[in-house]
Amino acid sequence: MILTVTLNPTLDKFYWVDELPLCLDQPEEAILIRSERSLMSAGGKGINVSTFLACHGAETIALGFLAGHTGQIVLQDLLAHGVTANFVWIPGETRTNVTVIARGREYHPLLIHEEGPPVPEEALRIFLRKYERMVRCAEYVVLGGAVPSGCPPDCYRTLVRIARTAGARVVVHAGGEPLVRAIEEGPFLVKPDVRAELQLGDMPVSTAQQIVRAGKKVVGQGVGACLISHHVTGDILVTGDGVWELEARVPLSTFKNLVGADDALVGGLLVALLRGEELVEAARYGMAAAMASAEVEEKLCLDESAIRRELAHVVVRRGGAG
Amino acid sequence: MKAHEVMRRDLTSVELDTTVDHVIYLLHQSGLASLPVVDEDGRVVGIISERDLIRALLPGYVDMLESSAFLPSLDQLGRKLHEIGRKPIAEFMVREVIAARPDDSDLHLADLMIRKGLKQIPVLDDENRLVGVVRRIDLLHRLRR
Repeated sequence: MILTVTLNPTLDKFYWVDELPLCLDQPEEAILIRSERSLMSAGGKGINVSTFLACHGAETIALGFLAGHTGQIVLQDLLAHGVTANFVWIPGETRTNVTVIARGREYHPLLIHEEGPPVPEEALRIFLRKYERMVRCAEYVVLGGAVPSGCPPDCYRTLVRIARTAGARVVVHAGGEPLVRAIEEGPFLVKPDVRAELQLGDMPVSTAQQIVRAGKKVVGQGVGACLISHHVTGDILVTGDGVWELEARVPLSTFKNLVGADDALVGGLLVALLRGEELVEAARYGMAAAMASAEVEEKLCLDESAIRRELAHVVVRRGGAG
Repeated sequence: MKAHEVMRRDLTSVELDTTVDHVIYLLHQSGLASLPVVDEDGRVVGIISERDLIRALLPGYVDMLESSAFLPSLDQLGRKLHEIGRKPIAEFMVREVIAARPDDSDLHLADLMIRKGLKQIPVLDDENRLVGVVRRIDLLHRLRR
């Protein structure tokens, strides 16, 4: 079983529009943008990974915090996708993240992200007890996404420690300080979220050399493997055995929705690991899942045959620069 | 159809030391009529329902007379609720758990619900761990298809 943790879930709402105004500053009147199509789905990194896994036949349980009517919608969507849910309910309203995608500019959507409700101390205590209980049955644990207010910045570190003690392999799919703290406990794999800042702790990760250097440092600290995005269609995997550069040879013009592609990568990687594939090949399958997801309007590509077709475009090179 | 095909994979539950206040909050938030109570190993050891909570609030004579017509006002219940709000749910839960197994048939589930007057039934694995919940509406929804 794969346990996923999403401390700050979201209801993802997507709007497709013909065009966005070039400048939103100083409008002379209200800006009306009509949307020809919209979609909404349960979101947050861990939740997306669980949705991907459940739709690919893997047993998965999603944990975290939900609140209010939006939380109910998130829960219903998860259950409808076959995900087992075990959330702690908190006051307030689960956040909504809006993505506006303009025709021809799919690669540069307009994003509006809410902060999410704070987690009360009592709810955090209930969550930790739940987590300690559930983690005993888990083979892998995925800790995904932003840490809401009310949760301490070292909470991922605590969760990694508990999971490792229980014998589970932990994937940390997050960014910022929570990730840096979690690294100290030596998780199985880290997938740094570098969307907000091309930085891993105090190390820049803009170029391939910088990524390899940061990856090697993280692996040196006891992490099993580090997988970092390098451009949209490339990832670099660093382990104790070496460095691999993964590249998807697909034109950017085929992308329809990039939101969730990273989570499909983690989901695909785990599906392949559960099938018994080696880490490098599993990362290749994950990248194919990410590309297939970016090429559909829905957040995640849940069609295994489409991922298999994409696999033909993903090449792996042994690297080592840095 | 089997229970595992119709159940909601929602593991919302409470622990033995969860307070009455929190259970009411959770029932309200989740829209469920009852919640399984689990021990430290995640085994279901009781059920707490709206009905159990109401029973805990009512004076003993209401049960005896099988009528609430003698209640002076709801203020009395509010005061009682305030009194027990911080108490653990273990004091008020029903310990006899009526549950289904994942491979139980829909007919068995319907029979249990009708005979016992239940709105929902927890589905437990061989070690009595919660794996899902079947609600009356889930069965009706399936039958409509």
